[in-house]
Amino acid sequence: MSDKVYNLAQLEELGGGDAEFVTMMVATFLEHTPGQLEEMKAAHSSGDLATLGAIAHKIKPNVDMFGIDAIVQDVRDLEQMGKNGVNTAETVAKLNKVDAELKIAFEQLKQY
Amino acid sequence: MALMKIFVVEDSIPYAKALVHHLGLNPDNEVEHFVDARSFLNQLHRIPDCVLLDYSLPDLSGIQVLKRIRSQMPDLPVLIVSGQEDVGTAVDLLKEGAYDYIVKDANAKDRIWNALNNIKENARLRKEIDVLREEVNQKYDFSNIIGSSLEIKAVYKLIEKATLTNITVSITGETGTGKELVAKAIHYNSKYRKRPLVSINIAAIPTELLESELFGHEKGAFTGAVSKRVGKFEEADGGTIFLDEIGEMDLNLQAKLLRVIQEKEVTRLGSNKNIKVNSRILVATNRDLKEEVRLGNFREDLYYRLLGLPIHLPPLRDRGGDTMLLAKYFLQEFVRENGFSEIKISAAAQQRILSYPWPGNVRELKAIVELAAVLCDDGLIDEKDLNFNSVSDEMDTLVSEGLSLKEYNRRLIQHYLRKNDNNVVEVAKRLDIGKSTLYRMIKNKEINLN
Repeated sequence: MSDKVYNLAQLEELGGGDAEFVTMMVATFLEHTPGQLEEMKAAHSSGDLATLGAIAHKIKPNVDMFGIDAIVQDVRDLEQMGKNGVNTAETVAKLNKVDAELKIAFEQLKQY
Repeated sequence: MALMKIFVVEDSIPYAKALVHHLGLNPDNEVEHFVDARSFLNQLHRIPDCVLLDYSLPDLSGIQVLKRIRSQMPDLPVLIVSGQEDVGTAVDLLKEGAYDYIVKDANAKDRIWNALNNIKENARLRKEIDVLREEVNQKYDFSNIIGSSLEIKAVYKLIEKATLTNITVSITGETGTGKELVAKAIHYNSKYRKRPLVSINIAAIPTELLESELFGHEKGAFTGAVSKRVGKFEEADGGTIFLDEIGEMDLNLQAKLLRVIQEKEVTRLGSNKNIKVNSRILVATNRDLKEEVRLGNFREDLYYRLLGLPIHLPPLRDRGGDTMLLAKYFLQEFVRENGFSEIKISAAAQQRILSYPWPGNVRELKAIVELAAVLCDDGLIDEKDLNFNSVSDEMDTLVSEGLSLKEYNRRLIQHYLRKNDNNVVEVAKRLDIGKSTLYRMIKNKEINLN
Protein backbone atom coordinates (compact mmCIF):
# COMPACT_ATOMS: atom_id res chain seq x y z
CA MET A 1 0.00 0.00 0.00
CA SER A 2 1.34 3.44 -0.97
CA ASP A 3 1.01 6.76 0.97
CA LYS A 4 -1.78 7.20 3.44
CA VAL A 5 -4.91 8.89 2.09
CA TYR A 6 -5.87 10.07 5.57
CA ASN A 7 -4.32 12.44 8.07
CA LEU A 8 -5.12 12.11 11.77
CA ALA A 9 -3.55 15.41 12.88
CA GLN A 10 -6.91 17.09 13.54
CA LEU A 11 -8.17 14.07 15.44
CA GLU A 12 -5.02 13.89 17.54
CA GLU A 13 -5.40 17.55 18.42
CA LEU A 14 -9.03 16.97 19.36
CA GLY A 15 -8.00 14.12 21.61
CA GLY A 16 -5.51 16.31 23.43
CA GLY A 17 -2.75 13.74 23.08
CA ASP A 18 -4.90 10.78 24.09
CA ALA A 19 -3.83 7.87 21.81
CA GLU A 20 -6.68 5.67 23.03
CA PHE A 21 -9.14 8.28 21.87
CA VAL A 22 -7.71 8.20 18.34
CA THR A 23 -7.87 4.39 18.29
CA MET A 24 -11.46 4.51 19.49
CA MET A 25 -12.33 7.08 16.81
CA VAL A 26 -10.75 4.98 14.07
CA ALA A 27 -12.79 1.97 15.22
CA THR A 28 -15.96 4.09 15.27
CA PHE A 29 -15.26 5.43 11.80
CA LEU A 30 -14.71 1.93 10.47
CA GLU A 31 -17.86 0.74 12.15
CA HIS A 32 -20.19 3.40 10.72
CA THR A 33 -18.81 4.92 7.54
CA PRO A 34 -18.68 1.82 5.27
CA GLY A 35 -22.41 1.32 5.86
CA GLN A 36 -23.09 4.99 5.09
CA LEU A 37 -21.10 4.69 1.88
CA GLU A 38 -23.16 1.71 0.78
CA GLU A 39 -26.39 3.55 1.65
CA MET A 40 -25.24 6.53 -0.38
CA LYS A 41 -24.52 4.38 -3.41
CA ALA A 42 -27.83 2.55 -3.03
CA ALA A 43 -29.66 5.87 -2.82
CA HIS A 44 -28.04 6.96 -6.06
CA SER A 45 -28.89 3.69 -7.79
CA SER A 46 -32.53 4.07 -6.83
CA GLY A 47 -32.58 7.72 -7.91
CA ASP A 48 -33.13 8.96 -4.35
CA LEU A 49 -30.93 12.00 -4.69
CA ALA A 50 -32.21 13.68 -1.51
CA THR A 51 -30.98 10.73 0.57
CA LEU A 52 -27.70 10.76 -1.33
CA GLY A 53 -27.26 14.44 -0.39
CA ALA A 54 -28.26 13.82 3.22
CA ILE A 55 -25.72 10.99 3.66
CA ALA A 56 -22.99 13.03 1.98
CA HIS A 57 -23.83 15.74 4.49
CA LYS A 58 -23.36 13.28 7.35
CA ILE A 59 -20.10 11.85 5.99
CA LYS A 60 -18.65 15.32 5.34
CA PRO A 61 -17.44 16.21 8.88
CA ASN A 62 -15.94 12.73 9.32
CA VAL A 63 -14.03 13.00 6.04
CA ASP A 64 -12.75 16.38 7.27
CA MET A 65 -11.90 15.03 10.70
CA PHE A 66 -9.95 12.07 9.27
CA GLY A 67 -8.15 14.35 6.83
CA ILE A 68 -9.16 12.43 3.70
CA ASP A 69 -8.32 15.53 1.71
CA ALA A 70 -8.67 14.10 -1.80
CA ILE A 71 -12.45 13.86 -1.48
CA VAL A 72 -13.26 16.77 0.85
CA GLN A 73 -14.64 18.86 -2.02
CA ASP A 74 -16.30 15.92 -3.81
CA VAL A 75 -18.36 15.03 -0.74
CA ARG A 76 -19.51 18.64 -0.54
CA ASP A 77 -20.40 18.61 -4.24
CA LEU A 78 -22.38 15.39 -3.80
CA GLU A 79 -24.27 16.96 -0.93
CA GLN A 80 -25.24 19.93 -3.11
CA MET A 81 -26.09 17.74 -6.13
CA GLY A 82 -28.31 15.58 -3.94
CA LYS A 83 -30.02 18.61 -2.45
CA ASN A 84 -30.59 20.16 -5.88
CA GLY A 85 -31.61 16.86 -7.56
CA VAL A 86 -28.69 16.93 -9.98
CA ASN A 87 -27.79 13.53 -11.41
CA THR A 88 -25.28 13.83 -14.20
CA ALA A 89 -22.15 12.04 -15.33
CA GLU A 90 -20.28 14.31 -12.95
CA THR A 91 -22.38 13.01 -10.06
CA VAL A 92 -21.49 9.45 -10.97
CA ALA A 93 -17.81 10.34 -11.33
CA LYS A 94 -17.70 12.03 -7.98
CA LEU A 95 -19.54 9.18 -6.29
CA ASN A 96 -17.09 6.68 -7.76
CA LYS A 97 -14.17 8.77 -6.62
CA VAL A 98 -15.53 9.07 -3.08
CA ASP A 99 -16.25 5.32 -3.04
CA ALA A 100 -12.74 4.41 -4.18
CA GLU A 101 -10.94 6.81 -1.89
CA LEU A 102 -12.97 5.85 1.18
CA LYS A 103 -12.36 2.18 0.52
CA ILE A 104 -8.61 2.81 0.46
CA ALA A 105 -8.95 4.81 3.67
CA PHE A 106 -10.88 1.94 5.29
CA GLU A 107 -8.16 -0.54 4.36
CA GLN A 108 -5.38 1.72 5.54
CA LEU A 109 -7.16 2.57 8.81
CA LYS A 110 -7.68 -1.11 9.56
CA GLN A 111 -3.90 -1.26 9.85
CA TYR A 112 -3.82 1.60 12.36
CA MET B 1 -21.47 26.87 38.05
CA ALA B 2 -19.53 23.92 39.41
CA LEU B 3 -20.45 21.35 36.78
CA MET B 4 -21.79 22.19 33.35
CA LYS B 5 -24.27 19.64 32.08
CA ILE B 6 -24.03 19.57 28.27
CA PHE B 7 -26.39 17.60 26.05
CA VAL B 8 -24.94 16.77 22.61
CA VAL B 9 -27.58 15.87 20.02
CA GLU B 10 -25.78 14.39 17.01
CA ASP B 11 -26.60 11.41 14.80
CA SER B 12 -23.12 11.08 13.32
CA ILE B 13 -21.55 8.71 15.83
CA PRO B 14 -17.91 9.46 14.98
CA TYR B 15 -18.49 13.21 15.17
CA ALA B 16 -20.48 12.86 18.38
CA LYS B 17 -17.78 10.74 20.00
CA ALA B 18 -15.13 13.26 19.04
CA LEU B 19 -17.22 16.07 20.48
CA VAL B 20 -18.04 14.24 23.71
CA HIS B 21 -14.39 13.37 24.22
CA HIS B 22 -13.19 16.87 23.46
CA LEU B 23 -15.72 18.55 25.76
CA GLY B 24 -14.97 15.98 28.45
CA LEU B 25 -11.36 17.16 28.54
CA ASN B 26 -12.65 19.89 30.83
CA PRO B 27 -13.45 18.11 34.12
CA ASP B 28 -16.17 20.70 34.83
CA ASN B 29 -18.18 19.44 31.85
CA GLU B 30 -20.62 16.59 32.21
CA VAL B 31 -21.43 15.57 28.65
CA GLU B 32 -24.25 13.31 27.49
CA HIS B 33 -24.93 12.20 23.93
CA PHE B 34 -28.27 11.64 22.16
CA VAL B 35 -28.45 10.18 18.65
CA ASP B 36 -31.79 11.71 17.69
CA ALA B 37 -34.20 14.50 18.58
CA ARG B 38 -36.81 12.32 20.26
CA SER B 39 -34.48 10.66 22.75
CA PHE B 40 -33.09 14.10 23.59
CA LEU B 41 -36.50 15.76 24.01
CA ASN B 42 -37.56 12.93 26.31
CA GLN B 43 -34.70 13.85 28.62
CA LEU B 44 -35.01 17.61 28.41
CA HIS B 45 -36.76 17.68 31.80
CA ARG B 46 -33.36 16.90 33.33
CA ILE B 47 -32.48 20.51 32.47
CA PRO B 48 -29.02 20.74 30.93
CA ASP B 49 -26.99 23.95 31.16
CA CYS B 50 -26.40 23.95 27.41
CA VAL B 51 -27.34 21.98 24.28
CA LEU B 52 -25.15 21.30 21.25
CA LEU B 53 -27.64 20.50 18.54
CA ASP B 54 -26.88 19.05 15.13
CA TYR B 55 -28.97 20.82 12.50
CA SER B 56 -29.71 17.69 10.42
CA LEU B 57 -31.18 14.98 12.58
CA PRO B 58 -32.96 11.91 11.20
CA ASP B 59 -36.29 12.49 12.92
CA LEU B 60 -36.71 16.27 13.27
CA SER B 61 -35.01 19.27 11.70
CA GLY B 62 -32.79 21.50 13.81
CA ILE B 63 -35.28 24.36 13.67
CA GLN B 64 -38.12 22.13 14.86
CA VAL B 65 -36.06 20.89 17.79
CA LEU B 66 -34.96 24.44 18.60
CA LYS B 67 -38.58 25.62 18.68
CA ARG B 68 -39.52 22.76 21.01
CA ILE B 69 -36.65 23.63 23.35
CA ARG B 70 -37.50 27.33 23.31
CA SER B 71 -41.16 26.64 24.12
CA GLN B 72 -40.16 24.64 27.20
CA MET B 73 -36.98 26.41 28.30
CA PRO B 74 -36.62 29.78 26.65
CA ASP B 75 -33.42 30.61 28.53
CA LEU B 76 -31.54 27.39 27.74
CA PRO B 77 -28.56 28.19 25.48
CA VAL B 78 -28.61 26.10 22.29
CA LEU B 79 -25.53 25.94 20.06
CA ILE B 80 -26.37 24.74 16.58
CA VAL B 81 -23.53 22.63 15.22
CA SER B 82 -24.06 22.04 11.54
CA GLY B 83 -22.30 20.75 8.46
CA GLN B 84 -24.29 23.29 6.51
CA GLU B 85 -22.44 26.46 5.62
CA ASP B 86 -25.61 28.31 4.78
CA VAL B 87 -25.91 31.90 5.96
CA GLY B 88 -29.69 31.98 5.47
CA THR B 89 -30.20 28.96 7.69
CA ALA B 90 -27.85 30.39 10.30
CA VAL B 91 -29.75 33.68 10.37
CA ASP B 92 -33.09 31.89 10.69
CA LEU B 93 -31.81 29.82 13.58
CA LEU B 94 -30.32 32.79 15.37
CA LYS B 95 -33.62 34.63 14.92
CA GLU B 96 -35.35 31.66 16.52
CA GLY B 97 -33.13 32.16 19.54
CA ALA B 98 -30.12 29.87 18.93
CA TYR B 99 -27.16 31.00 21.03
CA ASP B 100 -24.69 30.47 18.16
CA TYR B 101 -24.34 28.69 14.84
CA ILE B 102 -21.15 26.72 14.44
CA VAL B 103 -20.07 25.04 11.20
CA LYS B 104 -18.41 21.63 11.50
CA ASP B 105 -15.01 22.62 10.22
CA ALA B 106 -11.49 22.64 11.62
CA ASN B 107 -12.30 25.71 13.79
CA ALA B 108 -15.45 24.20 15.26
CA LYS B 109 -13.86 22.95 18.46
CA ASP B 110 -12.40 26.35 19.31
CA ARG B 111 -15.66 28.12 18.59
CA ILE B 112 -17.60 25.61 20.68
CA TRP B 113 -15.08 25.99 23.49
CA ASN B 114 -15.37 29.80 23.40
CA ALA B 115 -19.16 29.70 23.25
CA LEU B 116 -19.28 27.36 26.27
CA ASN B 117 -16.96 29.66 28.20
CA ASN B 118 -19.25 32.60 27.40
CA ILE B 119 -22.30 30.60 28.46
CA LYS B 120 -20.59 29.72 31.74
CA GLU B 121 -19.66 33.32 32.37
CA ASN B 122 -23.19 34.51 31.55
CA ALA B 123 -24.64 31.89 33.86
CA ARG B 124 -22.29 33.00 36.64
CA LEU B 125 -23.27 36.64 36.15
CA ARG B 126 -26.96 35.76 35.99
CA LYS B 127 -26.65 33.85 39.24
CA GLU B 128 -24.87 36.78 40.83
CA ILE B 129 -27.62 39.13 39.65
CA ASP B 130 -30.28 36.76 41.03
CA VAL B 131 -28.54 36.67 44.40
CA LEU B 132 -28.22 40.47 44.49
CA ARG B 133 -31.80 40.88 43.34
CA GLU B 134 -32.97 38.53 46.06
CA GLU B 135 -30.97 40.50 48.63
CA VAL B 136 -32.53 43.74 47.41
CA ASN B 137 -36.00 42.18 47.47
CA GLN B 138 -35.47 41.08 51.04
CA LYS B 139 -34.10 44.47 52.00
CA TYR B 140 -37.13 46.21 50.58
CA ASP B 141 -39.70 43.65 51.53
CA PHE B 142 -42.40 45.99 52.82
CA SER B 143 -42.98 43.81 55.84
CA ASN B 144 -39.56 45.14 56.88
CA ILE B 145 -41.03 48.60 57.28
CA ILE B 146 -41.18 48.62 61.04
CA GLY B 147 -44.33 49.52 62.88
CA SER B 148 -47.51 48.11 64.32
CA SER B 149 -49.64 51.24 64.65
CA LEU B 150 -52.96 51.41 62.83
CA GLU B 151 -51.57 54.27 60.76
CA ILE B 152 -48.64 52.28 59.40
CA LYS B 153 -50.77 49.16 58.93
CA ALA B 154 -53.01 51.20 56.64
CA VAL B 155 -49.88 52.14 54.69
CA TYR B 156 -48.86 48.46 54.36
CA LYS B 157 -52.22 47.70 52.81
CA LEU B 158 -51.84 50.47 50.26
CA ILE B 159 -48.29 49.42 49.39
CA GLU B 160 -49.52 45.89 48.81
CA LYS B 161 -52.25 47.15 46.50
CA ALA B 162 -49.73 49.34 44.67
CA THR B 163 -47.50 46.34 43.96
CA LEU B 164 -50.27 44.49 42.16
CA THR B 165 -50.92 47.01 39.37
CA ASN B 166 -49.14 49.60 37.27
CA ILE B 167 -51.06 52.48 38.79
CA THR B 168 -49.11 55.70 39.40
CA VAL B 169 -48.49 56.17 43.10
CA SER B 170 -48.14 59.52 44.82
CA ILE B 171 -46.39 59.27 48.14
CA THR B 172 -46.76 62.17 50.51
CA GLY B 173 -45.50 62.82 53.98
CA GLU B 174 -43.20 65.02 55.99
CA THR B 175 -39.50 64.84 55.46
CA GLY B 176 -37.94 61.73 56.98
CA THR B 177 -41.12 59.65 57.02
CA GLY B 178 -39.69 57.09 54.57
CA LYS B 179 -41.12 58.05 51.19
CA GLU B 180 -38.14 56.65 49.30
CA LEU B 181 -38.28 53.42 51.29
CA VAL B 182 -41.93 53.02 50.31
CA ALA B 183 -41.07 53.68 46.64
CA LYS B 184 -38.42 50.94 46.80
CA ALA B 185 -40.78 48.56 48.56
CA ILE B 186 -43.36 49.08 45.81
CA HIS B 187 -40.85 48.60 43.00
CA TYR B 188 -39.06 45.55 44.41
CA ASN B 189 -42.31 43.79 45.16
CA SER B 190 -43.99 44.58 41.85
CA LYS B 191 -43.81 42.94 38.43
CA TYR B 192 -41.34 45.67 37.42
CA ARG B 193 -38.68 44.47 39.86
CA LYS B 194 -36.56 42.76 37.21
CA ARG B 195 -36.06 46.08 35.47
CA PRO B 196 -34.39 49.13 36.99
CA LEU B 197 -35.75 51.50 39.59
CA VAL B 198 -34.49 54.91 38.51
CA SER B 199 -34.80 57.61 41.16
CA ILE B 200 -34.37 61.30 40.61
CA ASN B 201 -34.64 64.05 43.17
CA ILE B 202 -36.19 66.98 41.33
CA ALA B 203 -35.12 69.46 44.03
CA ALA B 204 -31.49 68.40 43.82
CA ILE B 205 -31.00 69.24 40.14
CA PRO B 206 -30.90 72.78 38.76
CA THR B 207 -33.95 73.54 36.63
CA GLU B 208 -31.89 74.14 33.50
CA LEU B 209 -30.35 70.66 33.72
CA LEU B 210 -33.44 68.78 34.77
CA GLU B 211 -34.99 68.47 31.33
CA SER B 212 -31.88 66.82 29.95
CA GLU B 213 -31.64 64.57 33.03
CA LEU B 214 -35.20 63.39 32.58
CA PHE B 215 -35.46 63.15 28.82
CA GLY B 216 -31.84 62.95 27.63
CA HIS B 217 -30.09 64.96 24.97
CA GLU B 218 -28.28 64.57 21.67
CA LYS B 219 -24.67 65.53 21.13
CA GLY B 220 -24.41 69.30 20.64
CA ALA B 221 -27.98 69.95 21.84
CA PHE B 222 -26.62 72.72 24.07
CA THR B 223 -23.26 74.11 25.16
CA GLY B 224 -21.55 71.37 27.08
CA ALA B 225 -23.52 68.51 25.51
CA VAL B 226 -20.37 66.81 24.28
CA SER B 227 -21.98 63.43 23.83
CA LYS B 228 -25.38 61.84 23.54
CA ARG B 229 -27.09 61.08 26.85
CA VAL B 230 -30.00 58.82 27.65
CA GLY B 231 -32.51 60.37 30.05
CA LYS B 232 -33.95 58.86 33.21
CA PHE B 233 -37.23 57.95 31.51
CA GLU B 234 -35.39 55.88 28.90
CA GLU B 235 -33.21 54.31 31.59
CA ALA B 236 -36.30 53.27 33.48
CA ASP B 237 -38.02 51.77 30.44
CA GLY B 238 -39.83 48.62 31.53
CA GLY B 239 -39.09 49.42 35.16
CA THR B 240 -40.02 52.18 37.57
CA ILE B 241 -39.17 55.86 37.62
CA PHE B 242 -39.34 57.55 41.00
CA LEU B 243 -39.70 61.34 40.85
CA ASP B 244 -38.89 62.53 44.34
CA GLU B 245 -39.86 66.06 45.41
CA ILE B 246 -42.12 66.41 42.38
CA GLY B 247 -43.64 69.54 43.92
CA GLU B 248 -40.41 71.40 43.19
CA MET B 249 -40.70 70.99 39.43
CA ASP B 250 -40.77 74.13 37.34
CA LEU B 251 -44.07 74.86 35.52
CA ASN B 252 -42.53 74.68 32.03
CA LEU B 253 -41.10 71.28 32.71
CA GLN B 254 -44.38 70.15 34.22
CA ALA B 255 -45.96 70.66 30.79
CA LYS B 256 -43.29 68.48 29.18
CA LEU B 257 -43.65 65.82 31.84
CA LEU B 258 -47.40 65.77 31.26
CA ARG B 259 -46.82 65.13 27.57
CA VAL B 260 -44.43 62.26 28.33
CA ILE B 261 -46.96 60.67 30.64
CA GLN B 262 -49.82 61.09 28.18
CA GLU B 263 -47.99 60.04 25.03
CA LYS B 264 -45.64 57.52 26.67
CA GLU B 265 -42.79 58.87 24.62
CA VAL B 266 -39.86 61.19 25.19
CA THR B 267 -37.94 63.45 22.86
CA ARG B 268 -34.30 63.99 23.69
CA LEU B 269 -33.14 67.61 23.70
CA GLY B 270 -31.83 68.47 20.26
CA SER B 271 -33.74 65.66 18.57
CA ASN B 272 -37.05 65.40 16.72
CA LYS B 273 -37.32 61.69 17.20
CA ASN B 274 -39.89 60.39 19.66
CA ILE B 275 -38.77 57.42 21.71
CA LYS B 276 -41.37 55.12 23.24
CA VAL B 277 -41.02 54.63 26.98
CA ASN B 278 -43.08 52.48 29.24
CA SER B 279 -42.28 52.76 32.87
CA ARG B 280 -44.25 52.76 36.07
CA ILE B 281 -44.29 56.19 37.71
CA LEU B 282 -43.95 56.84 41.42
CA VAL B 283 -43.84 60.39 42.75
CA ALA B 284 -43.22 61.80 46.19
CA THR B 285 -43.51 65.18 47.79
CA ASN B 286 -43.68 66.75 51.20
CA ARG B 287 -45.78 69.55 49.81
CA ASP B 288 -49.55 69.68 49.66
CA LEU B 289 -49.87 69.43 45.88
CA LYS B 290 -53.54 70.34 45.95
CA GLU B 291 -52.62 73.59 47.66
CA GLU B 292 -49.82 74.10 45.13
CA VAL B 293 -52.39 73.72 42.34
CA ARG B 294 -54.57 76.30 44.04
CA LEU B 295 -51.63 78.67 44.30
CA GLY B 296 -50.83 78.18 40.61
CA ASN B 297 -47.51 76.49 41.29
CA PHE B 298 -48.53 73.09 40.02
CA ARG B 299 -50.52 72.18 36.90
CA GLU B 300 -53.94 70.80 37.70
CA ASP B 301 -53.91 68.36 34.76
CA LEU B 302 -50.54 66.98 35.87
CA TYR B 303 -51.77 66.77 39.46
CA TYR B 304 -54.62 64.49 38.43
CA ARG B 305 -52.32 62.42 36.20
CA LEU B 306 -49.90 61.87 39.04
CA LEU B 307 -52.31 61.46 41.91
CA GLY B 308 -53.05 57.80 41.08
CA LEU B 309 -52.99 55.86 44.30
CA PRO B 310 -52.13 58.32 47.07
CA ILE B 311 -50.15 56.95 50.00
CA HIS B 312 -49.75 59.34 52.88
CA LEU B 313 -47.02 58.49 55.37
CA PRO B 314 -47.95 59.57 58.87
CA PRO B 315 -45.44 61.62 60.84
CA LEU B 316 -43.70 59.68 63.58
CA ARG B 317 -45.46 61.68 66.30
CA ASP B 318 -48.77 60.21 65.11
CA ARG B 319 -47.54 56.63 65.12
CA GLY B 320 -47.88 55.97 68.84
CA GLY B 321 -45.91 52.93 69.96
CA ASP B 322 -43.99 52.73 66.67
CA THR B 323 -41.51 55.30 67.96
CA MET B 324 -40.10 53.02 70.64
CA LEU B 325 -40.36 50.00 68.35
CA LEU B 326 -38.29 51.83 65.73
CA ALA B 327 -35.83 53.20 68.28
CA LYS B 328 -35.13 49.69 69.54
CA TYR B 329 -34.89 48.34 66.00
CA PHE B 330 -32.36 51.02 64.94
CA LEU B 331 -30.38 50.45 68.12
CA GLN B 332 -30.31 46.69 67.58
CA GLU B 333 -29.20 47.11 63.94
CA PHE B 334 -26.49 49.59 64.90
CA VAL B 335 -25.22 47.31 67.66
CA ARG B 336 -25.17 44.35 65.25
CA GLU B 337 -23.43 46.24 62.42
CA ASN B 338 -20.72 47.53 64.76
CA GLY B 339 -20.24 44.40 66.79
CA PHE B 340 -21.19 46.15 70.06
CA SER B 341 -22.45 44.34 73.13
CA GLU B 342 -26.11 44.77 73.97
CA ILE B 343 -27.25 48.35 74.68
CA LYS B 344 -30.45 49.18 76.53
CA ILE B 345 -32.46 52.39 76.81
CA SER B 346 -33.14 53.73 80.31
CA ALA B 347 -36.70 54.47 81.42
CA ALA B 348 -35.95 58.21 81.51
CA ALA B 349 -34.50 58.14 77.98
CA GLN B 350 -37.52 56.18 76.77
CA GLN B 351 -39.78 58.80 78.31
CA ARG B 352 -37.82 61.54 76.54
CA ILE B 353 -38.01 59.70 73.21
CA LEU B 354 -41.75 59.30 73.57
CA SER B 355 -42.36 62.93 74.51
CA TYR B 356 -40.19 64.45 71.77
CA PRO B 357 -42.22 65.57 68.69
CA TRP B 358 -39.72 64.20 66.10
CA PRO B 359 -39.98 66.92 63.47
CA GLY B 360 -37.38 65.07 61.39
CA ASN B 361 -39.39 61.84 61.75
CA VAL B 362 -37.88 58.37 61.35
CA ARG B 363 -34.67 59.70 59.79
CA GLU B 364 -34.08 61.90 62.84
CA LEU B 365 -34.92 59.09 65.25
CA LYS B 366 -32.38 56.81 63.60
CA ALA B 367 -29.66 59.45 63.73
CA ILE B 368 -30.30 60.28 67.37
CA VAL B 369 -30.45 56.65 68.50
CA GLU B 370 -27.24 55.80 66.67
CA LEU B 371 -25.44 58.77 68.17
CA ALA B 372 -26.74 57.83 71.61
CA ALA B 373 -25.40 54.30 71.14
CA VAL B 374 -21.96 55.77 70.51
CA LEU B 375 -22.09 58.25 73.42
CA CYS B 376 -23.63 56.05 76.10
CA ASP B 377 -21.68 54.34 78.88
CA ASP B 378 -22.05 50.89 80.40
CA GLY B 379 -24.44 49.65 77.72
CA LEU B 380 -27.25 51.98 78.78
CA ILE B 381 -28.59 54.96 76.85
CA ASP B 382 -29.56 57.67 79.29
CA GLU B 383 -31.37 60.96 78.74
CA LYS B 384 -28.06 62.83 78.51
CA ASP B 385 -27.04 60.69 75.50
CA LEU B 386 -29.98 61.89 73.43
CA ASN B 387 -28.95 64.93 71.39
CA PHE B 388 -31.91 66.55 69.77
CA ASN B 389 -30.51 68.80 67.08
CA SER B 390 -33.33 68.87 64.59
CA VAL B 391 -32.90 71.46 61.89
CA SER B 392 -36.22 70.99 60.21
CA ASP B 393 -38.26 72.30 63.07
CA GLU B 394 -36.33 73.34 66.13
CA MET B 395 -39.06 75.26 67.86
CA ASP B 396 -40.21 72.45 70.11
CA THR B 397 -36.67 71.82 71.18
CA LEU B 398 -36.10 75.49 71.89
CA VAL B 399 -39.04 75.61 74.24
CA SER B 400 -37.68 72.69 76.21
CA GLU B 401 -34.23 74.24 76.52
CA GLY B 402 -35.24 77.05 78.89
CA LEU B 403 -33.57 79.88 76.96
CA SER B 404 -33.63 83.61 77.73
CA LEU B 405 -36.24 85.59 75.82
CA LYS B 406 -33.51 87.39 73.84
CA GLU B 407 -31.84 84.14 72.81
CA TYR B 408 -35.20 82.61 72.05
CA ASN B 409 -36.05 85.56 69.76
CA ARG B 410 -32.68 85.33 68.05
CA ARG B 411 -33.07 81.63 67.33
CA LEU B 412 -36.67 82.09 66.24
CA ILE B 413 -35.67 84.72 63.69
CA GLN B 414 -32.72 82.63 62.55
CA HIS B 415 -35.01 79.66 62.07
CA TYR B 416 -37.52 81.58 59.97
CA LEU B 417 -34.81 83.16 57.85
CA ARG B 418 -33.43 79.72 57.07
CA LYS B 419 -36.90 78.42 56.27
CA ASN B 420 -37.57 81.36 53.94
CA ASP B 421 -34.27 81.36 52.09
CA ASN B 422 -33.08 84.44 53.99
CA ASN B 423 -35.99 86.48 52.66
CA VAL B 424 -35.94 89.33 55.17
CA VAL B 425 -39.16 90.93 53.92
CA GLU B 426 -41.07 87.66 54.21
CA VAL B 427 -39.72 86.89 57.68
CA ALA B 428 -40.48 90.41 58.91
CA LYS B 429 -44.04 90.00 57.68
CA ARG B 430 -44.50 86.54 59.22
CA LEU B 431 -43.09 87.51 62.60
CA ASP B 432 -44.69 90.93 62.53
CA ILE B 433 -41.48 92.80 63.27
CA GLY B 434 -39.81 95.64 61.44
CA LYS B 435 -37.44 94.93 58.57
CA SER B 436 -35.05 97.44 60.08
CA THR B 437 -34.89 95.33 63.25
CA LEU B 438 -33.85 92.35 61.20
CA TYR B 439 -31.28 94.31 59.21
CA ARG B 440 -29.85 95.71 62.45
CA MET B 441 -29.51 92.19 63.92
CA ILE B 442 -27.80 91.01 60.75
CA LYS B 443 -25.47 94.00 60.80
CA ASN B 444 -24.62 93.37 64.47
CA LYS B 445 -24.00 89.72 63.63
CA GLU B 446 -26.66 88.64 66.11
CA ILE B 447 -27.98 86.48 63.33
CA ASN B 448 -26.26 85.01 60.30
CA LEU B 449 -27.46 84.74 56.75
CA ASN B 450 -26.16 81.38 55.61
